[in-house]
Amino acid sequence: MTDMLTKGGADASVPSTGAGARSHGRAPASRRRSMRAPGFPWILPALVVSSGLVYFCIGYNGWVSLLDWNGISPIQTFVGLDNYVKAFTDPIFWGTLQHTVVYFVVTYVAQTVLGIVLAVLLHSRVRLAGVYKVIIFVPVILAPAIMAPVFRIMFAGDGPVNDFLAAIGLGFLTQPWLAQSSTALGVLMIMQIWNTTGISFILFYAAISQVEHDVIEAARLDGAGSIRIVWSIVVPSVRGTIVALAMLSAIGTLKLFDIPYLVTSGGPNFATEFLGTYIYRQAVPLGDVGYASALSIILLVLALGMAFVLSIRGNEERQAKKGALR
Amino acid sequence: MKFHSKGRTSKRLLAITAAAGTAALALTACGSSGGAQTGSADEGSITWWGWTPDTSVAETYITAFNEEYPDIEVTYRNFENGDYKAALRAGLQSNSGPDVFDIALGGDVADFATFGDFGLDLRPALEEQLGEDWEDAFTFSNDGLTREDGSVAGVSMGGVASGMMWINQTMFDEFGVEVPTSYDEWVAACDTFREAGKDCLAMGAQGGSGFTTETWRSIVNSIEPGLWYSALEGDATWDEPAFQEGLEMLLAMKEDGIVRDDVTGLAQYPDANNAFLSEQAAMVQMGTWYAQYSREQSAIASMEAAGVSNPTPFVQLAVPFPAVGGNSPEIFGELDYGLAVNSRSDSTAAATTFALWLTGTEEGGQVIANAIDLIPGLQGVEPQWDELGLVEPDVQIPAIQDLYAQAAEITETRNTLVTADLAQALDVAAASVLEGTTSPADAIATLVASQG
Repeated sequence: MTDMLTKGGADASVPSTGAGARSHGRAPASRRRSMRAPGFPWILPALVVSSGLVYFCIGYNGWVSLLDWNGISPIQTFVGLDNYVKAFTDPIFWGTLQHTVVYFVVTYVAQTVLGIVLAVLLHSRVRLAGVYKVIIFVPVILAPAIMAPVFRIMFAGDGPVNDFLAAIGLGFLTQPWLAQSSTALGVLMIMQIWNTTGISFILFYAAISQVEHDVIEAARLDGAGSIRIVWSIVVPSVRGTIVALAMLSAIGTLKLFDIPYLVTSGGPNFATEFLGTYIYRQAVPLGDVGYASALSIILLVLALGMAFVLSIRGNEERQAKKGALR
Repeated sequence: MKFHSKGRTSKRLLAITAAAGTAALALTACGSSGGAQTGSADEGSITWWGWTPDTSVAETYITAFNEEYPDIEVTYRNFENGDYKAALRAGLQSNSGPDVFDIALGGDVADFATFGDFGLDLRPALEEQLGEDWEDAFTFSNDGLTREDGSVAGVSMGGVASGMMWINQTMFDEFGVEVPTSYDEWVAACDTFREAGKDCLAMGAQGGSGFTTETWRSIVNSIEPGLWYSALEGDATWDEPAFQEGLEMLLAMKEDGIVRDDVTGLAQYPDANNAFLSEQAAMVQMGTWYAQYSREQSAIASMEAAGVSNPTPFVQLAVPFPAVGGNSPEIFGELDYGLAVNSRSDSTAAATTFALWLTGTEEGGQVIANAIDLIPGLQGVEPQWDELGLVEPDVQIPAIQDLYAQAAEITETRNTLVTADLAQALDVAAASVLEGTTSPADAIATLVASQG
């Protein structure tokens, strides 16, 4: 875009004058300044708000992370990096990271695969496609506070899921899904996938709409089957969406709070504890705001690092594409 | 982008800095904690926040209050135990917090150590209303709500005791089950209920609200009376054998069907509470506050809240915790909570009027006593038993009177000596054993290590 602007400037149709023309076809500097909109004052209010609210809060959070403080008392004790040392030696903290990685990988892969498959299917000639789109998207608009009690009932020891398994002869699979560490996280992941697959579906549906129909026709004429077309043409075409979804999913998982808090409260035995719920647990019930702030700073660093890595990967792929096109 | 000139650039930078600094100051500004009364003592609109009582009970308090003070509008907001602390923390540090709020001695709901400094000093108002010896007017000592400088942050509403069981006597009669007094009798009773498709003891270990710990405490009290309280006082250590034995018995309760397999996936509130009130479970371990559901009106409201349509109230009774370890475990309790006036309130005068009417007048004390949600906090006040509208007065009145008499003999406190950190450590120990991922021995080791 910058290149286009530069070229547009170089090719400006503004007639040059003898006195002001320092380069081919460009208006004099004074006229260029008067032609530019004074944009800075317009963004100043937003800049002040964002600086005051966002970056100041981050800085203040960083300061609090160096304290032993309950968030209310006038007594604040400076402890330096003790809270960070505590975090790195806290098995529950490492457990939250482990849960985050597992949660991200499983839910992202599932949503991506489901999103692409559903988008491809609904790009075919399907009856009542509009109805299916609505059904797929409805879970997205449901608030976790509504879904949580439903899933708690469904996956209760005497809930409908176990009843269904028993009814179809799979009674040996019935178990207290939310009451044991080995399955509680899985239930949360199911809930997440159900809740957000609609978003990935919508994004992939729109991305697939951009795929050249002629390319697909040509592939069919060459004898490519549907699966081959999806794998070799559709998926590469929506790679940008895949990367974008990865970034959104990663950051969303890092700051996950509502689903584990409402469904399992981080239990049983911290088996579904995430950084978000652990920060809350430390800050509010336990009143260790200093430690909670340190965890928040670590979360921020992880989120920035993840965004950076994914952004680098995306840039590398764009560079590779440009190289291939030249 | 370029500035028009360096001079203007500097001025703009200064403007930005000033604006950002102003915003920052506004964000970090702490409100003043003024101690003077504000507003009128006879009129106004105030809000009251609490995790207890239930909304319906609070409204009876307010209705009675308004008979004497019709121009003071009181709005009660009830929170779940687990949500109250977070809401109160934010509310008290803002200008949109409550005028009156519940405050407890200890524990992890709304402890005095965390929130005591926000309470307006009520000593002058208490002395004006009740005289210099105002403390003698109360059943429970107010020391736990009094600051080091002698200022009074909160006033006792009444007392609470835990360590007993509540049973659905109607269900016990229906299935011909006797109240268990030992572990074996308990298992047998539960077998009968399970065969009838009912749960036995409704319990929820999720969320760490302390109820599972109280079951563990009752077991230990039966094994070695007084040990638990000694540990709270620091005179005994948590690696005494009885604590591990208690966890082993807690695990056995799950294995023997006294509690459900998925107990660690359930919360005491709302799951266990709803299970008992909807008559899915025959028993539940709750404290003296559960007596309120002995009243027909409260029973119907609570059963409806638990999802029962057109409920028929059942007879609930408090019974001793079975002597699972050979001894009849004693109950434990203390001042349950007090009312504090938010020193940042714009209506401290009206708020003080409400708080002291409810806690320090005979009329207010009577309303509290009649709700049988709290052990009466005012000396000389007891429930007007014949006017309570109990489901079955002949059976329930003697039972509640006996319970209150036991509470008057209590020697062990409930939450006064329990910090939030200890409360969580105990809950984690109990829940991890119940979940099956940790052995009782390992849970005790972790508990001891966490307490240094």
